[in-house]
Amino acid sequence: MTALPRLSTVFLAAITTLVAVLLYSPLAVPIVSSFFTIAHGNVDWSSPTLATYVALAENHDILAALRTTLIVGVCTVILSVVSGTLLALYYHSRRSGRTLLQFIIFLPFLMPPIISGLALLIFFREIGLERSLLTVVIGHTVFVLAIVYRTVLMRLQSMSRTLVEASYDLGATGWQTFWRIVLPNLSSAMVGGAILAFALSFDETMITILVTGTQSTLPVRLWAMMRLGFSPDINALVALILMFTVLLCVLAARFLIPRQVATERT
Amino acid sequence: MNQNTDLLTLRSVSKSYGTVPVLHDIDLSIKDGEFLTVLGPSGSGKTTVLRLIGGLEPLTSGEIRLDGQDISRMPINRRPFNTVFQDYALFPHLTVSGNVGYGLSVRHVPRKEIARRVAEALELVQLGRFTDRFPAQLSGGQRQRVALARALICQPRLILLDEPLAALDLELRRQMQEFLKSIQREIKTTFLFVTHDQEEAIGMADRICVMQAGHIRQLGTPHELYYKPNCEFVARFFGENNLVAGKLGSVQGELRSIETALGRLVCSIRDQPHLKTATDGASAFAAFRPEALHLADAKDTENRFSGTIADMAFAGSSTVATITAGADHAGQRLRLRMPSRVDGSTLKSGATISLAFAPHEGHLVLA
Amino acid sequence: MSGTGTIPLAERRWSLLVTVLAFALPVVFVLVPLAIFLGYSFFSVDQGTIVHTLSLGNYVRFFTDPIFLPVFWNTIVLCLSVAAICILLAYPAAYFLTTLKGRWRYALLMLLLVPLLMSYVIKIYAIRSILGLNGFLNKALVGLGILQEPSTLFVFNMNAILLTLTLLLIPFAILPIFLSLERIPQVLLRASDDLGASGLQTFLRITLPLSLPGVASAASFVFVLAIGDFLTPQMVGGISGFTFGRILYSQFGTAYNWPFGAALSVALAVVVIAAILVGERFGRNRGTAI
Repeated sequence: MTALPRLSTVFLAAITTLVAVLLYSPLAVPIVSSFFTIAHGNVDWSSPTLATYVALAENHDILAALRTTLIVGVCTVILSVVSGTLLALYYHSRRSGRTLLQFIIFLPFLMPPIISGLALLIFFREIGLERSLLTVVIGHTVFVLAIVYRTVLMRLQSMSRTLVEASYDLGATGWQTFWRIVLPNLSSAMVGGAILAFALSFDETMITILVTGTQSTLPVRLWAMMRLGFSPDINALVALILMFTVLLCVLAARFLIPRQVATERT
Repeated sequence: MNQNTDLLTLRSVSKSYGTVPVLHDIDLSIKDGEFLTVLGPSGSGKTTVLRLIGGLEPLTSGEIRLDGQDISRMPINRRPFNTVFQDYALFPHLTVSGNVGYGLSVRHVPRKEIARRVAEALELVQLGRFTDRFPAQLSGGQRQRVALARALICQPRLILLDEPLAALDLELRRQMQEFLKSIQREIKTTFLFVTHDQEEAIGMADRICVMQAGHIRQLGTPHELYYKPNCEFVARFFGENNLVAGKLGSVQGELRSIETALGRLVCSIRDQPHLKTATDGASAFAAFRPEALHLADAKDTENRFSGTIADMAFAGSSTVATITAGADHAGQRLRLRMPSRVDGSTLKSGATISLAFAPHEGHLVLA
Repeated sequence: MSGTGTIPLAERRWSLLVTVLAFALPVVFVLVPLAIFLGYSFFSVDQGTIVHTLSLGNYVRFFTDPIFLPVFWNTIVLCLSVAAICILLAYPAAYFLTTLKGRWRYALLMLLLVPLLMSYVIKIYAIRSILGLNGFLNKALVGLGILQEPSTLFVFNMNAILLTLTLLLIPFAILPIFLSLERIPQVLLRASDDLGASGLQTFLRITLPLSLPGVASAASFVFVLAIGDFLTPQMVGGISGFTFGRILYSQFGTAYNWPFGAALSVALAVVVIAAILVGERFGRNRGTAI
């Protein structure tokens, strides 16, 4: 697209810069606030401080919520990766009802979270399951399942069918083919799916608010605190989460972009 | 290994996908130790034949026998055949030696023996230095050889090759043809090679099985197929050929005449009894190769006719003339191939010339 | 594993069991809850307890009560506006990305997508503090002399919701548009140049039409996410910024009328499904076959 004259390139670059500023300004506020004091919309640049980080280390309430979030995230990842992979294998084996099954898997991802969350809320009440971390994990798993499923299925479909045929042809049994050929070729997609699942679970707010019990995850805790306004140590937490997220993104990109493509592009 | 015993026999094998038939009542015998090529255009069913033998697809009807035993229902992983896939199907997460040793390792062969046999197999395909590379780090020709080593390491009775050279460029393909042929001679294993490329088939095969539309059209040596095609399809598919339609005439020893738009032509029917017994007046074609056609001289008493040169095309070592012949020099297009000359002297387009071919270089094909 | 041929599938015998197991999780935790939820929309509430007799009362109330339909329409208009603004901003940015080469293109794309993964609640909070009466936006506008004094134009109202949702959802518009732009074969653009079209003509007659499927998916994406959001309006909407999502949520909180909330959810689901179908219909990429 080199045909465009220079003026329009400048215009496009300006809009892109504007978009980047719009996207990053909400993130800049807490990060700046984590190092500097802000009063009445003015930043006091003169005195950087790490006091917020110290305060964070002593905020047991927030740290407990963070721990809960991590537990939920790990459980969600395990459940969604195992079931998502099995469901992708089921779909790929061309068995009966696979289109319907796929539709059901995608439903919670397509429906607004308020609908998925409320449906689960009523369901848990109907079957007499108390709201707890278990219900949160179920809610998250149902929500992120589609992502893991899709990631694994796409890898499965891009895998040449002759790989499996070749394995059988060389004398391998069904199990040997699965463990030695299929699974190793899916592993990077499964890791990528797991990272996405964790990231989604880590920040899931709307479904969680509806199905959570007394123990709340970080986003829900923050949501509750937000009505009163945040204490400065929250900014420190946000800055840390931000760094963690960027790291996670880089990792996910590494696992999700096939190696050949990566080398071609560089 | 006795070339005369049958290793594998297909008996009235049919295959349909749903209601779409792809193979009709195929009968085929593969001899022990031979290099058999299945040749056909795409959609002819040639790959299906290979997949049925390999056990990748179930038969619709008929049976496949190995040493006289019915193996139609034997699972793929217990058939003593190995396949070289068109896309090679190398396992991307395993190294070259991991790929080659896979067939032994799934059979729980001791590690030491695997290492020894992998080294042997890689030596055979001249890839001894590449044991620790991954498939993505190899060139097309090298992948091809890994796939071959992987297929032959289990010492199968039959190696199935599904258009393995299709992805290679011309020069490499020629090298690989010779290479495959020499390996086959060395290990004396039966090869079933599927291709759509007739030059490839001629260059490598002991016997060629020509397929079209789910039928076997002809099975024979490359020489037989080239000089004695038994149907119009084979005559047209297998190399360039001039076909002139006509009605069969009388038999004179090993020759038979045919009445065509070019007049009365006489062709050989040697070793083709069905042409001897065909009724007079039956529709048939006179077939003769472009290189058999030449400018007529005094010695040519038979198969003489005149034509107009429509076009001359220089093709390296030879030059091809496109000629219109028959009534008003319009009805019949023929090709004439002659050696090119260094001084560039050649025939002129538009010139009218007298042509001929020797009766023993022409043959007949029933329509 | 392709279950074809004589490939041995010992588990084929267990086919039915496998099917049942595969369906178990999705059916129990997705289909059944949604079915119960749908059933709830036909129930009613009497003095704080749910009456399990079927009636269309909730739906009649939704269509006849003067409160709900206007909020419903306003919310749809709001979310369409969000989608439109997102696309107006995302299209040029996505286009700019495709003019970049190799590594830069994906690095910048990543840069624009990363904010998606940042804490959602924190972003809302930060945006609120930017938009507030003493926020950075008002400070900047007054500082630049555009405003005489801080304005309440974007404080706790529909405008605030519109701006916040837009800021949150732009990345969801960038990705599909970028992907559809990237898929356009460069040869087509060169062919158009070759045939004598100007840069603008090439854009309007080749690039834009071929990227419309991406625009459709982007619009449908953003719309669906915006209309399903009940936390953002709650946080930045104040009293005047009342959206459908908030009404729906309140049925499960303060109003405590689950059956009516379920009926409102069905209305929401219908709109969402329609939006997804429209996005799907126009989002099919016709240009990919080339």
